[in-house]
Amino acid sequence: MPNPVEILGRARNRIAHVAAIRAGAYAIAPAIVAILLALGLGPIGRITWVRWGYVLAPEHAAMLRDALYAIAAGAVAAGAIIAVRAYRRALDFVAAAERVDNAVHARQEILTFATLADPDLGEAANASRTPLFPLLWRHAIGLLERFDSIKAFPLALGRPLARSSMIAAALAAVMILAAMGLVRPPTREQAIATRLREIAREIEATSTDPTDRAIAGEASAAADALENPKLPPEQKLKKLADVMRDLDQKKKGAGGDKKGAGTGGGTQAAKGKGNGQSQGGKQGQGSGPGGSDKSNQPGTGSGKSQQGKNNGSSGKGGKQDKTSVELQNELAKAQAQVETDAANSPKPDANKPGDDNKPGNAPKSGGNPEQKGSAPNPDSTRPGNVPKAGAAAQQNVPPTGGAQNSTKDMGSNLGDTHLGETPAAANYQRYLKPGEKGAALDIHDARYVMFRLPNSATVGAGGKTVIDTNRPTATTAYVNAPLKETRDQTTPDERQLVPPRYRDLIH
Amino acid sequence: MGAAPQASPDQRVAEFRKVFSRAEQEVGRVIVGHQDVVRKLLTALFSGGHILIEGVPGLGKTLMCKTAADTLGLSFKRIQFTPDLMPSDIIGTQVLTETDGHREFQFKPGPIFAHVVLGDEINRATPKTQSAVLEAMEEHQVTVFGLTYRLDPPYLVLATQNPIELEGTYPLPEAQMDRFLFKVVMVSPKPDELREILGRTTGTRAHQTEAIFKPATAAQEIEALKGLVREVMVAEPLERYIIAVIGACTPGGPGAIPEVSQYLRFGPSPRGAQAIILSAKVNALLAGRVTVSYEDIDDAVVPCLRHRLLRNFQAEAENVSTESILEQVQKRLKRPRA
Repeated sequence: MPNPVEILGRARNRIAHVAAIRAGAYAIAPAIVAILLALGLGPIGRITWVRWGYVLAPEHAAMLRDALYAIAAGAVAAGAIIAVRAYRRALDFVAAAERVDNAVHARQEILTFATLADPDLGEAANASRTPLFPLLWRHAIGLLERFDSIKAFPLALGRPLARSSMIAAALAAVMILAAMGLVRPPTREQAIATRLREIAREIEATSTDPTDRAIAGEASAAADALENPKLPPEQKLKKLADVMRDLDQKKKGAGGDKKGAGTGGGTQAAKGKGNGQSQGGKQGQGSGPGGSDKSNQPGTGSGKSQQGKNNGSSGKGGKQDKTSVELQNELAKAQAQVETDAANSPKPDANKPGDDNKPGNAPKSGGNPEQKGSAPNPDSTRPGNVPKAGAAAQQNVPPTGGAQNSTKDMGSNLGDTHLGETPAAANYQRYLKPGEKGAALDIHDARYVMFRLPNSATVGAGGKTVIDTNRPTATTAYVNAPLKETRDQTTPDERQLVPPRYRDLIH
Repeated sequence: MGAAPQASPDQRVAEFRKVFSRAEQEVGRVIVGHQDVVRKLLTALFSGGHILIEGVPGLGKTLMCKTAADTLGLSFKRIQFTPDLMPSDIIGTQVLTETDGHREFQFKPGPIFAHVVLGDEINRATPKTQSAVLEAMEEHQVTVFGLTYRLDPPYLVLATQNPIELEGTYPLPEAQMDRFLFKVVMVSPKPDELREILGRTTGTRAHQTEAIFKPATAAQEIEALKGLVREVMVAEPLERYIIAVIGACTPGGPGAIPEVSQYLRFGPSPRGAQAIILSAKVNALLAGRVTVSYEDIDDAVVPCLRHRLLRNFQAEAENVSTESILEQVQKRLKRPRA
């Protein structure tokens, strides 16, 4: 014969378990959504704000990610607490009996029975019993004989999950709005960093070579460094230079393999010209200037490490070569940008003691032969854009224009312009033959320098004009990198109309 | 008839239901319709309470009470309350008598000494006379010249009240109203019922009832059944529900609804809660249960509390009845279901 007290006890436990699970289920969806959002912040950004031309700063992304993880952890903790409390609250014999009473339509007979047979009350419950209690016991047995607590109290999670989903949706909406509020148009560095990452991913996706993958990893790290505002420019440049060096070494190795015959010029610190012809497996021909001066002498300011231009390895290298070239381009852009930013940043005080001990942002000697110099023929007597350390830091000024120059501009006594000088056109040599060095460009206030390699057409057999496949092609990074911003950004003291004779010269 | 003292709980419950059902049938042989009033009358009898019946003259109030008493084999007395009725006319008085050459005062019991006492048109007597029955109703005893006389159980006071012809009447004091378990309202019979009444009362055939209990044992049998009513069990959540009902009906009480605060001067006393529980227990037994349910309580709320709520002037001016307030209370109160 079934014992109604035991049946009610089992029902109580079942109700408590269901209550705990249902209560805990309220936290499931928010926790999962928070974790998914945290993990998928990058992909979500790529298909949304990155596609729309915005970036989320790494520190903001990290903040969002941390917030989402914290929300997930909080949701899990809250769910656990709520579940435990729900379990304890539902572990009530009389309350469970009332639910059983409703389930079997006992019209409070089970409820009354439970109040008089509650095992937790013991003798106190017995004292309330009347001579009619045996009849009530039999009624309870009859009502609970076929009672199944699992069927009567199913684990219905639909409602908690639906409500939980609403909470999760609200959470997702809030986080997306927060992300949208934090995204900004990318700075130059961020754009370059983004491009670097894309290239790194492309390399990782297409190459199985461990060297390539290592380079991709370095590129990603360099991109991270580039976006890190707390990182000093020297370290950024170092990371970029490391990638450049590794890329160069890899290219050299590949070039050696490709070489069948011919000579390769442009090794580090090699001067002169070299023409090489690759007849290896890649069937490429390359020619180009191989001049590379290395005169990185600290203190003299003339040390721009000239990147050597490799010959012979610029053949048709396929997609990976193209990617490598793109990577080089982006790295060069990044270097230029970092240098520009470093130049625009406040200069250290030369009179401040102890500055001499600070390292300058001069590149390491011989570390990167591919690094471009500022001029084909560096003049060691001229101050280059290698920053000087210590007292010589005053010389860390752009060679042309710049804010300091403009401050010295006293204006014209004619009173017509603030510059007091007329821009004069220079006889720029636009095209150089392979190996030929042109005159140093003295360009003031230019934001970009555009250059283009000339098309080379030749006469083939039968007088037919064909494209010269041996034409010189770019083997090193070429870039329309922004030069230093030299204009004075301060508001002029006075405003005057441009004199008519200068209006045609200023655009 | 009647279950033996050593009878099982099932037999006792079955006996109660049988007696009750048969009493309803016997009264119904004389009284046409008014089944609800008859049930309340019997419920009050088995609960140990008293009942106030309100209705216009000629609805059969007096006949119903006498028939119920006859059916149950109980003694019956009727008191016609009039303005000049004195308390001694109800409870009795000391009469100087001569026995064996000695003169002494001897108590002459009044009509209140009966199992079933009908106070007809009780609101026509003065408050002094009305209050004479207070002790009898509550304590089941009367005191005359310092001597207390017990009233034989069962003791049931049935009071009728005429809602019209209010000139020269004295509304029952609150304390006396509170002593009635129920207040039931008799309404005019429906046409079919009226036709049946005409057929029964204007012909030559007299309808007789058959007594369920013998007069000698009736009191004992009924007392045993009243004891069974008291044994019916009530769960604690249901008791809390009754308390919530009382609180909701009390102006300024816990959970009082706005209508109560707006239209009532006073709410029910604890006797109201007792009346609800006792009435609900009878309802449970009639349903074959030994435990009270929420439905049993809900059925008892209006007849048990309608005469315990004192309306204020605004309620009387707006003709807001206590029944409507109680219905609002029942609608607002949620049963403590899981």
